[in-house]
Amino acid sequence: MHRVLSDKRTILLLVLPGLLIYTFAILFPIILSVYLGMTDWSGIGRPNFIGLENFKKIIFTDTTFWKSLRNAILLALAYVFVQHPIALAFAIFIDKVGGRAEKIFRTIFFIPCVIPVVVTSRMWVSLYDPQYGLINKILDFLHLGFLKQQWLGDTKTALISVIIICMWQGFGWALLIYYAGLKGIPEELYEAARIDGATGVKLYTKITVPLLQPVIKVNFTIAIIYALKQMETVYLTTNGGPGDASQFLANYLYIRAFNSYQYGYANAISVLFVIACLAVNVLFQKIFKSENYEF
Amino acid sequence: MARESSFNKKSRAVLLVVLGLFSIGQLFPLVWLIDFSLCKSGDVYGANILKIPNPPQFINYYVAWKDGKIPQFFINSVIVNVASVLLVVLFSLMMGYAFVRMEWKWSNKVLTYVLLGLMIPIHATLLPNFVIFRQLKMLDSYFALIIPYVAFSLPQAVFLMTGFIGSIPRALEESAIIDGCGIFRILFQIILPLSKPALVTITVTTFLNTWNEFIMAATYLTSDRFRTLPFSVYNFAGQYASNYAVQFAVMTIVALPSLIVYIALNEQVTKGVTLGAVKG
Repeated sequence: MHRVLSDKRTILLLVLPGLLIYTFAILFPIILSVYLGMTDWSGIGRPNFIGLENFKKIIFTDTTFWKSLRNAILLALAYVFVQHPIALAFAIFIDKVGGRAEKIFRTIFFIPCVIPVVVTSRMWVSLYDPQYGLINKILDFLHLGFLKQQWLGDTKTALISVIIICMWQGFGWALLIYYAGLKGIPEELYEAARIDGATGVKLYTKITVPLLQPVIKVNFTIAIIYALKQMETVYLTTNGGPGDASQFLANYLYIRAFNSYQYGYANAISVLFVIACLAVNVLFQKIFKSENYEF
Repeated sequence: MARESSFNKKSRAVLLVVLGLFSIGQLFPLVWLIDFSLCKSGDVYGANILKIPNPPQFINYYVAWKDGKIPQFFINSVIVNVASVLLVVLFSLMMGYAFVRMEWKWSNKVLTYVLLGLMIPIHATLLPNFVIFRQLKMLDSYFALIIPYVAFSLPQAVFLMTGFIGSIPRALEESAIIDGCGIFRILFQIILPLSKPALVTITVTTFLNTWNEFIMAATYLTSDRFRTLPFSVYNFAGQYASNYAVQFAVMTIVALPSLIVYIALNEQVTKGVTLGAVKG
């Protein structure tokens, strides 16, 4: 028994293929990135080692870097304070409706999440189009024509327009996680509360929301990391523009590498990007670890 | 169901209306897209919010199918995805077993090392991987996508598998070992069939992620020979810049496969998403 389960050759055979591919495509590249981040490489020729020069430049003089980080924080706030309350409310509604409708609505709300981001992004570019876009047409229809905008092309509205796309696409995710959390709350707790005389909204503020806290925290963490990692939607709609109005970190490092051929500099941004993601993860795990509700 | 006991018909109707209206709002952009994909290209400039296509311009779909190179990109997508999903399933099964059941000193440390991948953003490897793949002459090949797709799906898959295998009772394996079964027979004849729910979840979530992936595909592939389905949309936006109806038709076609998979495997997707989220 023990002999079979501790055979070193078998263990190696089981673990090695996955481990190699993971190390080759994730960990090794990150280490290489740390090195390249300390060079002034353009992408061709020889890298020239310049130490922490890039990092200094980014942190102390690169306004677009900080703007990208600020935009990520704004997106995270939009998720947490706008998208999530609505998602939680709708998760409760769906749970309450029951029957066939429950499954149907759950399916419908998740549809935007499964559609390729290339499609949703290009679709929103069309929706926002100043000449034929749906958004401006609806404003006209509502006699609000004065609100018509060049949504994605204007410095004032570009970021908020991108944030709206992200909230639209991610809504089903947030909703589904809350919904799964609701399903985990035992019915007896509600019954006990009803016997104690709790009704209606009170039932939710006193039972649902407190018991849902672990799920809310997980969902917040996911949203914040998701905001930090935002790239595809931005890349495919505004590419960070106009100027750097709607820039995000991952897209910014991409532009620096492939449009400005500042490969070394871009890798330095990439390293800071990984550090930011790890920091958020660790921070949130620390904050949320100590309190786990037992049902 | 008991939850509905104190819940009358009238408020249920109100809820249904609210949910209905909101879901129409949520899906309206897609309806708009499909609607104008069946109209003449210039129709989109009209004042109408929606327009009844009269007659429906199915020719748009024909042009999209042909000039969007849909069949070719579709096959590329299938090759890349089938390979990625199979490898992820196989590797996560093997690793999951080694981490949970096999006895070795480094088990926990190596598992932690793999799960670290859950925190690393894909985009941070775009630049270094581009350089590595270029050096190895791997750019513009199926491998340039399969390798990173497998690598990035593994941490999540291993996480699910370790949890699942841990919940399987040991008795079956023990008697199999006593009967002289080797690890690989145990793995493929006992663990594999028992792990089906977890493996289905892994398959579906990996498929949806990699099928829709765009940035890596855009970075590592340079020729249409290997490009995957999302590229049809991207190529088209330039080529047919003013022919909106055909562009919309391409987008509809590209959205369809994932939509079909999702609707067919609804339960598994839901489970996969929520299981994945619980990890935190």
